Amino acid sequence: MRSRTNKTKTILLYTAAILLFVYIIAPFLWLIIMSVSSSEDLTTRPLRWIPKRINLSSYAELLTMGINSRGELFLHGLRNSLVTALLAVAISMVVTIPASWVFSRHPGKKNLILYAAIFTFMLPPVAYALPLYRILSQIGLLDKSFSLALVYCTIVLPFCVWLIKENIDAIPYELEEAAIIDGAGLFTQITKVVLPLLLPSLGTVALLSLIMAWDEYFYAMLFTNSKQAITLPVVIANLASGRQSNYNLIAAGGVLASLPPVIIGFLFQRSLIKGLAMGGVKE
Amino acid sequence: MSKKTARNQILLTVPMIVIMGAVIGWPLIRTILLSFTDAQLMDSGTSGFVGLANFRNAITNEGFLASLKISAIFAFVVVTSEMILGTAVALLVNEPFKGRNLLRAFLILPWAVPTVVNAIMWRLIYNPEYGALNSLLTQLGLIDSYISWLSSANMALGAIIFADVWKNFSLVALIALASLQTLSSAQVDAAKIDGANALQRFGYITLPHLIPSLQVALVLRIIEAVKVFDIIYIMTKGGPANRTRSGSIFVYQEAFTNSRMGSGATYAVIMVALIMIFILFYMRIITKKR
Repeated sequence: MRSRTNKTKTILLYTAAILLFVYIIAPFLWLIIMSVSSSEDLTTRPLRWIPKRINLSSYAELLTMGINSRGELFLHGLRNSLVTALLAVAISMVVTIPASWVFSRHPGKKNLILYAAIFTFMLPPVAYALPLYRILSQIGLLDKSFSLALVYCTIVLPFCVWLIKENIDAIPYELEEAAIIDGAGLFTQITKVVLPLLLPSLGTVALLSLIMAWDEYFYAMLFTNSKQAITLPVVIANLASGRQSNYNLIAAGGVLASLPPVIIGFLFQRSLIKGLAMGGVKE
Repeated sequence: MSKKTARNQILLTVPMIVIMGAVIGWPLIRTILLSFTDAQLMDSGTSGFVGLANFRNAITNEGFLASLKISAIFAFVVVTSEMILGTAVALLVNEPFKGRNLLRAFLILPWAVPTVVNAIMWRLIYNPEYGALNSLLTQLGLIDSYISWLSSANMALGAIIFADVWKNFSLVALIALASLQTLSSAQVDAAKIDGANALQRFGYITLPHLIPSLQVALVLRIIEAVKVFDIIYIMTKGGPANRTRSGSIFVYQEAFTNSRMGSGATYAVIMVALIMIFILFYMRIITKKR
């Protein structure tokens, strides 16, 4: 009896596991297959599930620089996405690390600012987008990576200040007191004592913020329109919005845009999740 | 506290306050001011103060009310599905079986795929002429003719919800799994010895242990879901016949497609107010329980 229920349990467990695996993998695997198929493979009925031969021409087209080509726009998008995301995360972290230290070590009325920051995390981007668009167009800063990065701070900064404060809370203050007794000034106290201990979690916060900025579409769609600042999500959304049926090209763009976050995800899964669940898992 | 430390504390927060003021505080105030005007997208200072006229129009605009309803339905169905599926998946991959580590590793994949790519991927899958879903269902003999999933008034929102759940259940599952891994097996074993069945063990030990981290996941997901724009905009642009037009998409269309900044701002302000009320209400409930 006991072994029979165990056997049923095992069968159920493996069935569920296989179903889950298929559910997770099938859509993205199909995107990869589409990206290496030819247009003919993807526009026949019934569908050819396995391409006759691996066709890398979509990748070649997207990754080849040519004047006014799709590749040119795609590669510029790639560069702009990187630049914008890095800039936004750098600005956000530089201003939030010292502020988070104050919020953590000297809580009081100042923490209203912290709550305000966390609160803005909840507001829809349309709440800021209208005046931001007007002012950027009036001072001629539309379609610039730098101004887009500043706008991205609306998303990245609240997230950074919240997570970094939580991480500083976890560092015992006694260490800093010891440094103060040794005569360290505030600057040394933060850079020599807090920062080294904070570094690993700062890495996690930076990665999460980069993925967040990499993912952003709404502001980029509104505020950029040429190769000098357009980001990858906008490039591939535009690629897909036409009526043309080069599904393989669209799919290849999607696979390439997914690679950085997917690779980061696989490499740093454990610390990323710890970072995301911060504040809830401790208690 | 000495004067010097007080000054230092202010100095350390100033850079953040400046950036926040520039990109968050100031635009938010401007949006509120805009909502009382008839400003156009590209006017040269000719916009006039119209008082509460925009607000009077907004609360009687059926399109707007319908879009709020769509945001609410989307958020409710998506978040509920993701919470249930995510928790179930976490419990599953917490059990010992062969290949478990591989499955756990792949759980990060849907979360890592960018929102725009997810939307495009599912749009290709739902394609009415050559989409994989139509082909699969036909080959399995489940449907006779191809279906235009995203152009059907009855199915478009459901199809988008399915795509969103695929990407975001994984976040819930990963957060819940991280919490399950800190649950001591001694506690579960003790309950087993006391004769608690699987359901009782789940209800009295596992679930209470999971709740704090599930709350974090819930808050993160609700915040994202009520603001929904990207996935819908890319999959259907709000169509067919506005049946998938969320609140955010409505505001965008009013301000940028119809070039009515003033009333667009009004709709944005109303949306923000509703989200604020909702979150404050929600926080009250949570803090009361503690």
